[in-house]
Amino acid sequence: MMAWRNIWRNKMRSIVIMLSVAIGLFAGIAVLALYKGMMQSRVRTVIDAEITHIQIHQKEFKKDYDPSYTLPANDSMPAIISRMKRVKLVARRSITQGMLTTTTGSAGVQINGIEPDIEYRASQLREKIIKGEGFHSDKKNEILVGKKLADKMKLKTGSKLVLTFTDTTGNIISAAFRVAGIYQSQNAPLDEVNVYAEIKTLNELLLTGNSFHEIAVLLNNDDDLPFVQQQLKQIFPGYLIESWKEISPETDLMVKTVDEYSYIIMIIILFALAFGIINTMLMAILERTREIGMMVALGTTRIKVFLLVLFETIFLTIAGTPFGILAGLLITGYYHKHGLDLSGMGKDMMASFGFNTIIYPSFPIEKLLAVMLLVTGTAILACLFPAFKALRLEPVEALRR
Amino acid sequence: MNNTVIDAHDISKVYNPETIPVYAVNNVHLHLGKGEFAALVGPSGSGKTTLLNLIGGLDRPDYGNIFINGVDITKLSANQLINFRLHNIGFVFQSFNLIPVLTAKENAEFILLLQGIKKKEREKRLIQLFKQISLEDKMNTRPAELSGGQQQRIAVARALASKPQFVLADEPTANLDSNSASNLLDIMSKLNAEENMTFLFSTHDQRVIERARRVITLVDGKITTDTDPTHSVQITHEYAHNEKL
Repeated sequence: MMAWRNIWRNKMRSIVIMLSVAIGLFAGIAVLALYKGMMQSRVRTVIDAEITHIQIHQKEFKKDYDPSYTLPANDSMPAIISRMKRVKLVARRSITQGMLTTTTGSAGVQINGIEPDIEYRASQLREKIIKGEGFHSDKKNEILVGKKLADKMKLKTGSKLVLTFTDTTGNIISAAFRVAGIYQSQNAPLDEVNVYAEIKTLNELLLTGNSFHEIAVLLNNDDDLPFVQQQLKQIFPGYLIESWKEISPETDLMVKTVDEYSYIIMIIILFALAFGIINTMLMAILERTREIGMMVALGTTRIKVFLLVLFETIFLTIAGTPFGILAGLLITGYYHKHGLDLSGMGKDMMASFGFNTIIYPSFPIEKLLAVMLLVTGTAILACLFPAFKALRLEPVEALRR
Repeated sequence: MNNTVIDAHDISKVYNPETIPVYAVNNVHLHLGKGEFAALVGPSGSGKTTLLNLIGGLDRPDYGNIFINGVDITKLSANQLINFRLHNIGFVFQSFNLIPVLTAKENAEFILLLQGIKKKEREKRLIQLFKQISLEDKMNTRPAELSGGQQQRIAVARALASKPQFVLADEPTANLDSNSASNLLDIMSKLNAEENMTFLFSTHDQRVIERARRVITLVDGKITTDTDPTHSVQITHEYAHNEKL
């Protein structure tokens, strides 16, 4: 009771410390939510627009992208995978690497042969097209190029270009293509090197018939990834079956690293909070030196004085906590729904790291207790110094002040 | 003496013992019996507050022993001293030192709570005390809303709440006007008479000195006069002893 009343002695000071706690909590929630949102967005892009959950190749294929390492030409593998309960979509791709040449220059590219209808769903390619109409069923040798590559090679829709690559027999093939569309994804580096042609066109040039190099598997649920990957490994033991984490280890590493960074930022926030609390509680104790001396003189044990300071700090923290949590959850909830536009921070810069400029902060609610415990723990640790200061007061000295 | 409450033997308190020693209390020998109403007088800096602090266990003497009801408090550890003070000594301070966030009743109750007295018993004791200090109507008032005299009466109630062996009051009337001081003295005298409570207070105030039944004068840390005839011989002896030193 006394601890609770003491915190209202100096209302302004108590409100300031409560606000510090609230802002500390809010900042903690906001930082965690923002980083979580950024990482979720990046992972979603990697899965939904770049890699899918699982890719299957011939074991030798990815060593030097030799087009002769094709998967079985029949439809049995994709059909078996499609029938699996947890699988949402299966896309076949033919892949080779070659040179794109225009009148202005040339660039190394990865040529992806796709089935447009399926690929539009597998990697959201349709949504990425910013110019042009995409593939026309009645036209051959059409190609989609990324915006960054188009800018570099001065390509427009309808522009002609030549792709040069080796076929499965080792012969160098050159073929003219017309730009059917320019796409832009959230990953500018990928846009610069990936071009898309229809699988049947590419297969004709590669002399691979109906075969293909890659099966991309999209799942209904991210959590099913380990199970399905394991299942596929058992069904198709001779193939390279990789998850997006193995194909893009840098994304997985980034998720883990950013998680750690968010905790470092949290610790910095908590440090600032701790010094605020130390300052406030020290002032409170210095102001009440005589009173504490009197309490000890009357027979208050030192542990009770210590507990008094501790409870005052805990009350201040608890009083500030709901405001911080409420503000944190409300604001992150709002932006989770409407998106936080960070394009002002540099759209190109964000895209060059593969991030969407609109972030949907997502606070991991399971971390709420951890954040609350961290803030409360910090407050308790921060009050130890002032509490020990109070403990060491000698009644005679204190009463003299 | 069977009814001795305070028995201080040759106590001294020295500041700066290594450089220029200053004897705040110098070889003092003091007995106080049950129910005494004694004033400790002397000029500023004569050692009154230091002597009260030593007797109250708030400070430790450099030499000598202090027995309270037969217990040598100089031998007690810091924690034992806190506990001893809680159960045996009541304090009244010059500047009241009430806890501003607590009501008058809660201030007086504070010490009973520390002692772990049950609510029913606390209530009974507090009602009795507030009746004795004539502040029944101010029980739920905070100190800031009370006059200096009323605050000091609450401080007296707090000192007496736990029924201590004796009450030490350091200049209790120093911050009070004449009426409040007189009122406080009436209450302290009444409590002394009714509860046979021992009071030792330091004072400059002539009105207090006149009301005291025993006056002990302290000069430069030494007792120079004591109106208690049973101690006068001893004081003379102390002087003789000090002169030799």
